[in-house]
Amino acid sequence: MDQILSIDKGAEEGVVRLLKFLLENDKVSGVFTLRRTTGKGFFDYALITDPGLLEDAIPLHPFMNVNGGKIISSLPPMKKPVAAVIRPCELRSFIELVKRSQGSIDDFLLISYTCGGSFPFDKTLKDNGRKLLPGYWKAVEKGVDPDNIRQSCASCEHFVPQNADITVSLLGEKDLSSKCLIYLHSERSTAMTEEFDAEISDGQLDMKRFEALLEKRSEQKEKDFKEIKIEDSGLDGMIDLFGRCIGCHGCMRVCPICQCVLCDFESCAYDPDTSVIANELPVRGGVRVPTDTVLFHIGRLSHMSFSCVGCGQCTEVCPADIPVSTLFRKTGEQVAGIFDYIPGRDVDEEIPVTIFKEDELSELGND
Amino acid sequence: MTKTSIKGADISNKKGITEAILAFLEELLSLEDFDAVLIPMRVPSEDSYAWVLVNDENLLREADPVAPVMPVQGANALSSCSRKGEGNIRIAALMRPCEVRAAIELSKLNQVKLDTVTLITYDCPGALPLSDYIKDPVNGEKTFDSVLAGPGRDVESVKQVCRICDDFSMLPASDLHFAFYSESSGNILLIPGSKKGSALLKKMDIEPSVDISSWKENIEELKKEQIKRRKERFKKVKGMVEGFESLSETFADCIGCHNCQSVCPVCYCRQCYFDSETSRLDAESVLLRTESRGAVSLPADRVMFHVGRMSHMSLSCVSCGLCTDACPVSIPVADLFSYVADRTQDTFNYRSGKDKEEPVPLKTYREEEEKGINELVKGAEG
Repeated sequence: MDQILSIDKGAEEGVVRLLKFLLENDKVSGVFTLRRTTGKGFFDYALITDPGLLEDAIPLHPFMNVNGGKIISSLPPMKKPVAAVIRPCELRSFIELVKRSQGSIDDFLLISYTCGGSFPFDKTLKDNGRKLLPGYWKAVEKGVDPDNIRQSCASCEHFVPQNADITVSLLGEKDLSSKCLIYLHSERSTAMTEEFDAEISDGQLDMKRFEALLEKRSEQKEKDFKEIKIEDSGLDGMIDLFGRCIGCHGCMRVCPICQCVLCDFESCAYDPDTSVIANELPVRGGVRVPTDTVLFHIGRLSHMSFSCVGCGQCTEVCPADIPVSTLFRKTGEQVAGIFDYIPGRDVDEEIPVTIFKEDELSELGND
Repeated sequence: MTKTSIKGADISNKKGITEAILAFLEELLSLEDFDAVLIPMRVPSEDSYAWVLVNDENLLREADPVAPVMPVQGANALSSCSRKGEGNIRIAALMRPCEVRAAIELSKLNQVKLDTVTLITYDCPGALPLSDYIKDPVNGEKTFDSVLAGPGRDVESVKQVCRICDDFSMLPASDLHFAFYSESSGNILLIPGSKKGSALLKKMDIEPSVDISSWKENIEELKKEQIKRRKERFKKVKGMVEGFESLSETFADCIGCHNCQSVCPVCYCRQCYFDSETSRLDAESVLLRTESRGAVSLPADRVMFHVGRMSHMSLSCVSCGLCTDACPVSIPVADLFSYVADRTQDTFNYRSGKDKEEPVPLKTYREEEEKGINELVKGAEG
């Protein structure tokens, strides 16, 4: 049973109130959340320590210019936990990063929400996002997919947060403009919010209300996965899919899981060697340069795909409009499935390739 | 372009520029002197172009010497097949002028070995924005056909930096140059720009005997117009970069993905300074900033990254525009950097990519610097 806080204010206002309370009363050292900047429709993530600046906060906005889980993993620990408001996929990313010693759960009071999806970059540039908000919230209230959300969001089945200290209920809540419902899952969250002014009750998020949306999302996922039939087309298919890849590695750089200081594929180990190229030339008649375009992606798939949470940042950043997220998520799900692993589900669930079991995958071994 | 005694060879081809260039390169490849030609080719999925080192004549026939887009900077492609290892591939590289200029800069920075490379340029009409082409490659091909056909230079469909490009023709660094921006005659001339180029034409029995002055005049006219357009555009850009407030607003959408740095030919550092340990936001910095400002924007130091990148590479910037193509939030990075680059290069009386022997200014120490520096310093002292 969760403790539920009910505030007679709009959902976002209610959350800002809670954040203000936590900061003003020294329950947390800071608040990590989205906020408006420069007053011209721009926004960014910020670590806020002055409660006065929380009036610019937009914690629940469907904007994700960077993966919040990746950002908070780079924050140093402060005296008290930091209250971080992030999307379910960002939270799952953070869990995967914690498993890789890139952060600690104890450093944060993790606040998430039932998520209707986020907009692609081009819908949030300048001030475009603002116009789309009323329609977005209406759809969220109905518990259906809002228009204009990312492809990766329209196929996301993990829109109910896992491992959060606090969940704000958005999807399917009848009136987000006048009521804010906050579910406290952890002892820590109940303790920190003891004196917060709100109606208290007990209850649990009604998972049944998400069934229809989940079904729709799963259908969309299957559809998206079918469009990338790599399993049938093999290497030729990869060459087609990544034909227009320019090797900028933006996908890797924005990926929350890709946290290596120097990516293997940018290290000396993968430097193009002119002798190799010179040898290949007469054999093939032509060599695409720079080399190893597809290798980078296969390599990245093998390094991180099973931890892929499908946040879609890679697709957003790609200058060549390649549906990187769909491929990575599809591959990741299948590989993780072999080990019954779901990224972001449980912080104690070990990453499959880090465990050795003597009796495993015998069907792949030799007799 | 001061030697008026230079002549060109008429290699006009009824089938057009592509055919003329390919025919020449096919002949070149058949010589013992070259291992490969570096030239753009359409990718198998037919939605973009990639650089290919070609050594098979049949494959060469499928190439597109003047490609509609520049997904990868030619200098980067050249660097990847000349920098490391004992391969020593003898390459004839057919690239846009800005790509050759970038290659010259990179050779000064030891990232490209040019001794076994013959640099071939052409009158560049500009390139289409990459995202426009990718969204609709069929339409992109049509659009570029009309861009190439002219008359004059397109200012609607090509990238913003191409609209204001003042260095779109033969370079001091060109060993050979394909000239087709001539009068209505529609001739295609092949002009040798160096001893290497002249020797090559001699070997191929191609005699430069045609007067190039009318072509030269035409180019000068076009250049004047481009310089005018460049000045106009920079008036607006000035307001976007001068002063911290303007910079902050210009880069407000930046997500710190570093794509611009990644695709930039001049930015060759394996690990960018701004990704290194030194630049990482440590605990103390976070605390200091939150104490003094009450908040820290994250990712941190995005404007700093751009200003830093400007200070690191603007002396070698060639205004190729790949940075704008790669930016996922449509910041006109190339315009901003071109403006700053022009000004920093002017200060040192330096032109990126012009002279292989001219060292990059910051690598030289002179007890008495050019006047420009002294004025700069005086100006800063207020």
